Amino acid sequence: MSFALDGVGLTHANGFTALSGITLKAAQGERIALIGPSGAGKTSLLSVLGTALAPSIGTAEILDFGLFSPSTAAGKALRSRIGTVHQAPPLPGRQRVVTAVLAGKLGQWPAWKSLASLAYPLDVPGARAVLARVDLADKLFARCDQLSGGQLQRVGIARVLYQQPDLILADEPVSALDPTLALATIRLLIADAEARGATLVASLHAVDLALGNFSRIVGVKAGRIAFDLPAAEVGTPLLHDLYASEGEELPVQAHEPHFLLQSAANDAATRAACC
Amino acid sequence: MLLNPAARDPAARSRLIGALATLAVLWPLFQAAEVKPGVLFDPGNLKVIGNFLAGFLPPETGAEFLGYLGKATLETLAIATAGMALAFVLAVPLAYLASGAGREKTTLNPLTRSLLTLLRGIPELVWALVFVRVFGLGPAAGVLALGLTYGGMLAKVYAEILESVDAAPARALRHNGAGRPLAILYGLLPQASKELASYTVYRWECAIRASVVMGFVGAGGLGQLMDQAMKMLNGGEAASILLAFMVLVFSADGLSGWLRRALDTPPANRASPFGWRSSVLGLALAGSVVASFIFLEIDLKSLLTAEAARSIGEFIAGFFPPDLSADWLAKIGKGIWETLAISVVGTLLAAVAGLLLALPAWRAPFSFLLNTLRSVPELVWATITALAVGLGPFAGALALALHTTGVLGRLYAEALDNAPRPPSNALRLAGAPGGLAFLYGTLPGAAPQLIAYTLYRWEMNIRMAAILGFVGAGGLGQLLYFELSLFHHAQASTVIIAMLALSISVDQASAWLRRCMQ
Repeated sequence: MSFALDGVGLTHANGFTALSGITLKAAQGERIALIGPSGAGKTSLLSVLGTALAPSIGTAEILDFGLFSPSTAAGKALRSRIGTVHQAPPLPGRQRVVTAVLAGKLGQWPAWKSLASLAYPLDVPGARAVLARVDLADKLFARCDQLSGGQLQRVGIARVLYQQPDLILADEPVSALDPTLALATIRLLIADAEARGATLVASLHAVDLALGNFSRIVGVKAGRIAFDLPAAEVGTPLLHDLYASEGEELPVQAHEPHFLLQSAANDAATRAACC
Repeated sequence: MLLNPAARDPAARSRLIGALATLAVLWPLFQAAEVKPGVLFDPGNLKVIGNFLAGFLPPETGAEFLGYLGKATLETLAIATAGMALAFVLAVPLAYLASGAGREKTTLNPLTRSLLTLLRGIPELVWALVFVRVFGLGPAAGVLALGLTYGGMLAKVYAEILESVDAAPARALRHNGAGRPLAILYGLLPQASKELASYTVYRWECAIRASVVMGFVGAGGLGQLMDQAMKMLNGGEAASILLAFMVLVFSADGLSGWLRRALDTPPANRASPFGWRSSVLGLALAGSVVASFIFLEIDLKSLLTAEAARSIGEFIAGFFPPDLSADWLAKIGKGIWETLAISVVGTLLAAVAGLLLALPAWRAPFSFLLNTLRSVPELVWATITALAVGLGPFAGALALALHTTGVLGRLYAEALDNAPRPPSNALRLAGAPGGLAFLYGTLPGAAPQLIAYTLYRWEMNIRMAAILGFVGAGGLGQLLYFELSLFHHAQASTVIIAMLALSISVDQASAWLRRCMQ
């Protein structure tokens, strides 16, 4: 068992209910895509799985740990087995890429090694190897603020690859990448999970990316699970129902750059009209 | 692993060389500052300082003394406020001239910039010492000294703040035909106003501290009272004055915090940007400036008469030509080295202590400690550290370190608070212990600001180190105080030139270091 959520609800301090009645189980090694309109609760669900937020009600069992406290040694050990790819890569601008990648193992390394690695990176070949897998080996010693948004997102992915966690959580991991690179990166995450028998849960904006690569699709809507089906059984009516609030068209890969261009053009036009 | 070129860190060699070079520079400086931690715990010294501090209790509370204390407190406030008003009036046009903001072509403005350097480069205490000779003992010298130095500082920082915000809005306005003043008002000021206002308020806080210090050379206020109490080793009075002083600094701090928060309130839904609060504030501000000048009985006109001009002229003429004999220059060389050592050692000790005090998450007691350290000026600390370790540069370095720890600790705590949180949160989620999440996630984000604060503080400390000698803490100040009290103006003038040169080169060095760190 990789994780088991039973009747999980999450209510934020301001009274907003992000999740309610979520029951979701996954065996070790499963690969799941979360899809749903924005604001549906995908990120909240990933936060509960990543032990960043504790459920307000219900029980969450992650990697066979029940109630956990992040401050205990057991809590830290659990967290070091969970790797998260964040939507906005959480990398300090002035840190070097090599250090940012090695930081993935802070939870596993002894303290002396982590401290010494600040003065001299102690696993250059390891960092280079994972960066090569995201096509960034040449940026090993560059500083994070010299990288583009897409490159940073791939450094974030490289860090998780380096961490080698048992549970990979990915929150819109390819939102800053162009379609070709996005596809390659998703396949890389899947291949890594497959090779190590790790569980992968990724929230994705593009439906085609989810359906084409993941065996199990979980649709999330308004904080609840709308459906939980094998990819083959997810049909168009189901998707239209899921994205009912976002208009006729389903969000897919190929459309994204088109949308961006459109809105950028609009923006420039409005500005020109303004002045 | 290290022999394989592909696995080698290309930055390692330069890092190692940098570290060794730093050590090679710092070692002789620590020698020159005569750092002897052992002296701090020498039983004889401990006894002297213990007796003095024991005399602090109980603080003096006699009615007559409290009357003096009240008047001196008001005087200090008034000197600070009047001095800041003068500084502001000087700073706005100078900043406009010096800044590259809103210009289509970058210019260097060498004339204004060097005037600013001259104003800032000579410490306010030296200005005060000089003005006291011209206008006699009293607050007028303090107000003028504050106005000139702080005018220079404000102008420089205003100019830099305006240059540091996004220039695109102002450029767009200029391309549409707006003049430079309007481009600044409409394009840059909205972005910079909060920082400008908050820096001005912060400077006013500093002015209060500075006006206390100027009392030590006879420019009135709490400092003059403190000087008398210290000379008589009257611990009870000294304690009362220090307490009054801390209350003053804490309330100025509270007021400035409130003002800065008020700047964050979203605009009200009406045409005029000024509501009742800003009107009341504006009136209070104008009122307090006028009241300050009246309270201090400064007659601006009498300062601007032909006679005053003549006496200033005569006085200044006495400083020329400076004494450039080899003997004297050698003495000054030693003074410069000692002053540099005091400033570097003081700043470094403070950086370490400040960072340690800024780290704990449970802030309250540490904030109080930092505020206390900060509220006592370096010169007052120096009178105390001189008792603890004897006269000499180490006392100066310690005094500098104590005060600067308070300043840097507070700035560091703010910078660490403002550093982006996602990196360290992400590391914690991946199981990293808190300390390592800080080192890998928070510190890289905050480091540029920490370093910039430290270097800026070093620039200020070199000026302070130059005058700590006034109370016997070594360096150039000791030379200047000695020569001025003997009316050796030619020698004094060389010392002032040396101070100016030192502070200019430290500014340059600090700017260069900041560029290197980017």
